[in-house]
Amino acid sequence: MLYLSQAIGRPVRDKLGEPIGTVADLIVAIGDRYPPVTGIVVKTNGREIFLAWHSVSSLDPSGATLGTTAIDISKFHQRPNEIRLKLDLMDRQIVDIDGRKVVRVNDLRLDEVEGALHLVAVDVGASGLLRRLGIEGPWRVIARGFHRAVPERYIDWEDVDPVERTIASVKLRVPHKGLAELHPADLATIIDQLSRNDRVGVIASLDDEAAADAIGEMEPETQVDILEDLEPGRAADILEEMDPDEAADLVADLSDESRVEILGLMEKEEADEVQELMTYAEDTAGGIMTTEFVAVPASLTAAETIDRLRDLEPDAETIYYVYVTDDDEKLVGVLSLRDLIVAKPSTCIATFMFAEPVAVKTDASEEEVTELVARYNLLAVPVVDAEGRLEGIVTVDDAMDTLLPQQSKRRLPRLFSRSGTSER
Amino acid sequence: MRGPAFALTPRSVNRVRIAAILGVLGPGLVSGFADNDAGGITTYSVAGAKFGYDLLWVLLISQIVLFFTQEVGARLGLATGQGLAGLVRERYGVRWASFMITAMLIANLGSIVAEFAGCGAAVTLLGLQSWLGALIAAVVVVVLLTRGSFKWVQYIFVVVGIAVSIAYFVSALLAHPDWGRAASSLVIPRLATSPAYWVAVVATVGTTITPWGQAFIQSYVADKRLGPEDLVGERIDVGFGALLTNVIALFIVVACAAAVFSAGRQIDTNSPDAVQSIAGALTPLAGSGATVLFAVGLLAASFLGLGVVPLTSAYAACEAFGWETGVDWRLREAPAFYGLMIFFVVFAALFILIVPASSLIQVMLTAQIVNCLLLPFVLVFVMRLASDKQLMGPLVSGRKLQAIGWAGTALLVVLSLTLLATSVMGI
Repeated sequence: MLYLSQAIGRPVRDKLGEPIGTVADLIVAIGDRYPPVTGIVVKTNGREIFLAWHSVSSLDPSGATLGTTAIDISKFHQRPNEIRLKLDLMDRQIVDIDGRKVVRVNDLRLDEVEGALHLVAVDVGASGLLRRLGIEGPWRVIARGFHRAVPERYIDWEDVDPVERTIASVKLRVPHKGLAELHPADLATIIDQLSRNDRVGVIASLDDEAAADAIGEMEPETQVDILEDLEPGRAADILEEMDPDEAADLVADLSDESRVEILGLMEKEEADEVQELMTYAEDTAGGIMTTEFVAVPASLTAAETIDRLRDLEPDAETIYYVYVTDDDEKLVGVLSLRDLIVAKPSTCIATFMFAEPVAVKTDASEEEVTELVARYNLLAVPVVDAEGRLEGIVTVDDAMDTLLPQQSKRRLPRLFSRSGTSER
Repeated sequence: MRGPAFALTPRSVNRVRIAAILGVLGPGLVSGFADNDAGGITTYSVAGAKFGYDLLWVLLISQIVLFFTQEVGARLGLATGQGLAGLVRERYGVRWASFMITAMLIANLGSIVAEFAGCGAAVTLLGLQSWLGALIAAVVVVVLLTRGSFKWVQYIFVVVGIAVSIAYFVSALLAHPDWGRAASSLVIPRLATSPAYWVAVVATVGTTITPWGQAFIQSYVADKRLGPEDLVGERIDVGFGALLTNVIALFIVVACAAAVFSAGRQIDTNSPDAVQSIAGALTPLAGSGATVLFAVGLLAASFLGLGVVPLTSAYAACEAFGWETGVDWRLREAPAFYGLMIFFVVFAALFILIVPASSLIQVMLTAQIVNCLLLPFVLVFVMRLASDKQLMGPLVSGRKLQAIGWAGTALLVVLSLTLLATSVMGI
């Protein structure tokens, strides 16, 4: 086991023990679970030379010994997957994926794995900090006097994710594999802690759907920042994947310029939907409804309706009710998923649907909607226009948002938060 | 242009405007308000009481230097999205960062003690027991910072800042100063050769441009996630903040000049309750209302400092060492952050309650010396970082800004060393 800080600055000797210079940095190839050391940077006579790892016969806290006497100082090219440990990782911020937070690298831990030296963990604990300051020993003595242990904390390299800005020496597309597997809410928590460039880097590495899910979990002001920083075409792709009601809220907050540009780049159908939703005032049923719902004609049978559901693959929050509309798209009835499943497959849905269902007008207040949801224990309320045409639905989670006090609805704003924009 | 045309909905207009005003106009303004904390007000009061209008020209200079140092700090925040402590650690290593943080924490602890002393002096002027003031301030600050929503804290900061401005503006008016003389002193330096005069010059600049102020503006800008496109707005904000800081300082100097210096009073400016005596001197001249206003201003300013200084200290420490910055700001989830902040406030409050007033001066002086030692390092870091093309991108300091920045830094280094020398030698 070796800490990077123990190796940096130590003498490098050749095979005969002649000093050549000092250890300036180590190079690893990332991509593997534990990145192997592939080279060493030696500082000699005020300049840096790069040596391949196979020319190093040993490396420990006393220094490095080379297996050769002749140094090959042929031009070194840092390959795209290679990073310098001290320059690129030491003291930098990385994401602790399990802990869902951004931490700073105090030291790096290297271990022999299958005969080769690999980067295995990141030291983020107090002991690493003290080691770097050169006072770990004395501190431990003092701590022992008080019967205290010096807190140590390591994160396995597998559970960290270097953010874009971390790696300075090469242009690297960080894959963010670990981040992509997180729950959108956790991912949003992490992205919230990153600086602007890093955010864009992380979002860029996700697919549209994952990006849309994560953005959906963020605070409105963060959503706007990120979308405006993204390349407009990509922003449009992500918006298409979001729920139309969320997308509409977000688009309304964009600057005029980006809004026109991004809407223009979206698929026509999605852009129209978003724009239609934007015409409703924010605190009305129209403002909080989504246009994603399932509507079928009254002439279908139960089996046909279930087939229709299979084709449409509606989202989890919209599958529980199937709305029945007439030729003018007017709402005439509603079926629950349960009704459909327990009905005989050949029965016409008109015979068992709940006719004249509860509905609200698009201009109904949020409070009215919430009250209806609570009174009838609904999972969603249909929203109709003045003529009774079905325009959208308000799902229970969106309706309940109005009940929660402003502060607990989302995470507390950060210390120096941008005020004003987060008011909804 | 491609894409559909459509009407703006009312809500979007509304929000964009709020965001444009409060979103960008903020860091520089809050920083400007907070610069005039208890220590600042004491320094300005003493300057006015001792030297009359003669030191007003210094305010003009410190205004300019403050603008440029804050501008660089804001620009660093805009370009890197990082606070100063984190950036110093990444670029100059863990030892420099630890040195900076340690020195800043020590100096800030002294500043917080000074804020409590300010609260005490203010409530004494208002006819209450001074310990009561310190106790109430400590409780209110801890509750606000640990339990309150930070959005509210921000609003409170601004409201309190405005209260301070009005209080000093009105008390200056009530003191009937010689405005003509004040105006001429502002642009024409009236130099003197006495060491005490130059100590006051240095102290006036030194209380305005501080290491924590530098850390504060950068963290604030970075944490607001402002970016390069906000440069113009940020410059306006910083300029406005710097102007406001010094206009308030001007009113204080003018009020005290009229009440003490022009009235020919003698006040022992080295005594722990110099501010109280100076503010008390306003009464015969301008009525007790002026003294009360002065006290209210001092109370509000001390309170503002009590909020901002512990916050900045804890924030910088957490940022440099990678402790829970930016996580959900709840007590349980950010123990280091809240622990540090509460430690600062409680320690300083206990200190002020236990230690006799005569030793307080010593503590504040020590804080000032540590600040003096630290400021040159901080400014050199800031200037070097801001000239780094790779780090700053398009926001890198151009030749002119670099020249101005280094000139300002050189000036402040000289001033700091002077103050250091005088403090150590006890002039």
